[in-house]
Amino acid sequence: MTPLRRRSLLAGLVAGAAATRRAAAAETIHVGVSGPLTGPNAQYGAQWKDAFDLALAEVNPAAQRQIQYVFEDSQSDPRQSVAIAQKFVNDQRIVMELGDFSSPASMAASPIYQRAKLVQFGFTNSHPDFTKGGDYMWSNSISQAEEQPQLADFAIAGLGKRRLGVIHLNTDWGVTSKNLFAAAAKEKGAEVAAAEGFLPGERDFRSTLVRIRDSNPDCIVLLAYYADAATIVRQIRTLGLPQAIVAVSSVYSPKLLELGGDAVNGVHVITTFFPDEPRAEVQRFVAAFRAKYNREPDTFNATAYDTMILASTLVNQFGATRAAVREGLAKVRGVPSVVFGSMQFDPNTRRVEGARYKRLVVKDGRFTLWS
Amino acid sequence: MGGAWFDYTVNGFVIGNIYALLAVGLALIYGVANLVNFAHGSVYVVGAYVGWAAITYLDTPLPVTLLCVVAVSALVGVGIERIGLRPLHGSSRIAPLLATIGIALVLDQVVQLVFTPDPRAVPMQVPEWRVAVGGGTIGALDLLIAGIGLTSAVVLYGFLRFTKLGWAVRATAQDSDAAQQMGVDVNRVNMAVFAIASALSGVSGVLVGMYYNQISTAMSFEATLKGIVALIIGGLGNVPGAIAGSLILGLTESYGIALFGTSYRNLFAFVLLIAMLVWRPNGLFAARRALPPEPMTGTFIARSRPVVVPRWAVAALVVAAALLPLLGQPYLLQIGANSLMYAMLALSLTLVAGTVGQVSLGHAALLAIGGYASGLLAMDAGWPVALSIPAAGLVTAALGTLLVFPAFRLTGHYVSIATLGIGEIVSLVILNWTGLTRGAIGLGGIPPLEVFGFDLGSVEGTYWLCLAVLVLLALLQLRLLRSHLGRTWRAIRDDPVAARSYGVSGDRYKALAFGFGGFAAGISGAITAHVYSYINHETFGASISILALTMVILGGLGNVAGAVLGATLLIALPEAFRFLAEYRILIYGIVLLLLIRFRPQGLMGTV
Repeated sequence: MTPLRRRSLLAGLVAGAAATRRAAAAETIHVGVSGPLTGPNAQYGAQWKDAFDLALAEVNPAAQRQIQYVFEDSQSDPRQSVAIAQKFVNDQRIVMELGDFSSPASMAASPIYQRAKLVQFGFTNSHPDFTKGGDYMWSNSISQAEEQPQLADFAIAGLGKRRLGVIHLNTDWGVTSKNLFAAAAKEKGAEVAAAEGFLPGERDFRSTLVRIRDSNPDCIVLLAYYADAATIVRQIRTLGLPQAIVAVSSVYSPKLLELGGDAVNGVHVITTFFPDEPRAEVQRFVAAFRAKYNREPDTFNATAYDTMILASTLVNQFGATRAAVREGLAKVRGVPSVVFGSMQFDPNTRRVEGARYKRLVVKDGRFTLWS
Repeated sequence: MGGAWFDYTVNGFVIGNIYALLAVGLALIYGVANLVNFAHGSVYVVGAYVGWAAITYLDTPLPVTLLCVVAVSALVGVGIERIGLRPLHGSSRIAPLLATIGIALVLDQVVQLVFTPDPRAVPMQVPEWRVAVGGGTIGALDLLIAGIGLTSAVVLYGFLRFTKLGWAVRATAQDSDAAQQMGVDVNRVNMAVFAIASALSGVSGVLVGMYYNQISTAMSFEATLKGIVALIIGGLGNVPGAIAGSLILGLTESYGIALFGTSYRNLFAFVLLIAMLVWRPNGLFAARRALPPEPMTGTFIARSRPVVVPRWAVAALVVAAALLPLLGQPYLLQIGANSLMYAMLALSLTLVAGTVGQVSLGHAALLAIGGYASGLLAMDAGWPVALSIPAAGLVTAALGTLLVFPAFRLTGHYVSIATLGIGEIVSLVILNWTGLTRGAIGLGGIPPLEVFGFDLGSVEGTYWLCLAVLVLLALLQLRLLRSHLGRTWRAIRDDPVAARSYGVSGDRYKALAFGFGGFAAGISGAITAHVYSYINHETFGASISILALTMVILGGLGNVAGAVLGATLLIALPEAFRFLAEYRILIYGIVLLLLIRFRPQGLMGTV
């Protein structure tokens, strides 16, 4: 934590304490967060925290029931997430749980939450089986079944490409995405010429790219996160491959520009969240985030922010009990959302549909709308 | 297609070049201290961040950046020697290895706390010109990395061969006691070696950071792992061999990708590692002789008097543990259940590593085999859970023994590295054998624990089941250790040659130990799978193998009660430190280091 951030956190705490004193009549409601604050995924936990604090600073002062979150570090490790789950389900203050980050950590804890009838809300859990863990597993994570056809459409209808070389993360998320993408591409009359899966943490893609090159694609599709995508794109350029590059929404991040440098110019990406979008929810979020943290938010921030707004809406509209939160998720309509515009759940899949996709291209080191 | 093979070859050299900088430092340390330094990758990360900070805040030009990195990394190296190695001199061969693991944990956490876990871009300070080679290009930085790697190897080689200090280093490597008697200041030699090796590691960190324009705190383990593989290929402790080994590793990975695809990359690297260990354990460049005098008989495991716990106390503890659920503390019980599951794993490892002396660094693979076996039997074959769990134990016993069989002729550190490789291979096979294991998607919806209709899915049920299974396994293991079998295992550990001359076939007895150990670990993995309901190839990763070894060493190698105590402590401590938030893993690492420092023979003593 840099000194600057520590100071602002301290200031936030003081301000928060003052706010609590002012609204003594208001009730404090606790939600539990299980996520990585240390370990290899710690960066994502830090992003969550920033977005949570921002959302609560916004909704709590006016709310009758004010949310406070209890963040337990799981390192995204199932051994720790199950212990945290026991901690949360037996802490009667907790009315809802958010997280965990990775599928193994989240889904290992699901049976405990399901048994205790405490909602486990996984906002980064796109694994198709996550919400099948039981009727207390809900998610507003972007469904890849919805996103991949959008991506395929961008490459095929938008850019007019026919032979696609796919590089995907070899995890549950990456493989699910790849399969859905391949099906969508086939349906739209294009061919997946090659599909290469890489392991998290890999840095060298030169030989992978030779394989991609030799499959003669006219477009390279990246199903990865922004940090890996930056590395891959740099190596695509140093190898001198001229193909167009199209990437999923998890690649959209200001960090892509920082880590990728000049090489990422010309990269096409779809995204559900774009700071320049004029929509009111987006503009309010972006302005507040910039003011508070002095940097650009990304999709992970936006999803976490949406989730905390949702939590506040649920307890204020439907009541501050575990049963009320569960009932509320099935009933709630039109929750303002940065990612979805407005959010409601399909009670059967327990997921949200209708994310709004923007098509972007990196031009002169900036994300701009593609047309 | 010929053009493509040329490209794959170039790419193999380019990545091998990067591994070489890591492997040279590891080789140097191994050559002198007989130690595989697991903190090497963490020094690499420290170097990368020091370089980043120098460029970002001080605007240093490249030579000054490198100078800063060399200075800080060398200092860290000196610290590792002073804290992790010197105080442990003469305690046992395994304690320093564990200390480097603890230091790695602490270093990674410190870097993460100081610089935040966010990945950073390292500004390029090397001219950006590139020349076309085949279908790709090579840049100035590739040449700089190769230059530094080669120069350092040549300089080090010359230093070791032709200077007086170099002779002292080599004398220390061969026999540190004799060297000391001849007037060599062994501590200074060690310190110098750690400084040089760590400086090299730090420099490679910052150069690789520039190369990929990205550094993150998560890159240390991967760096250590690849450095170790390259080191083995080149021959432990052989500095020029380390460079060749790195290039061969790079080429193998590149050709592996060419032939089978990207997801097979690491599989190839680790298969090569095992092949090397089996056929050329001295590395490609050593004269073909027997294994080096590495297993200094009996000294790999420290001698100590085990702590004797009276029977009535053990019985009382078991009864107290059985009554724990009556307290009505589900969080505590879940930690208890986790501890018990890990205690089964620790039992297995303490037998293999402590009693038989085969220090395994890939034990999590047995959990994975057990978990997948039970999960698949229950889901695809429709077996009841009460049958699938013991069946998974048997499958793991058979498969696990078969997998480590090639490593039986190895000793000492070679076993650890071979098992590390086998563990990675198991995880990669699970990832790639999509037809059986569903690959990266993993096994979801594994049925909860139940025994003939009794639902044990509640935390109390899980806890009691684990406790019952653990007590049974522990009693069985104690019985075996007291039998002639236990004596034979210890005989093989203490002096394999003597054991053989008494007509004891080492391999068969090792197989028995791995069989029994595999059974216990398989059961543990199977129960874990049913508790988690979802597992994939990452659930039982290399970090769990290292955790298990830490438990066993902490408890006292070979000590059954120690294994249970070690497991309980290492599962409970990170939970107990929760109030420390981001600092808890750092404190955990420091506690671990202190325990190793003051009880290198383990809390309960080795048996």
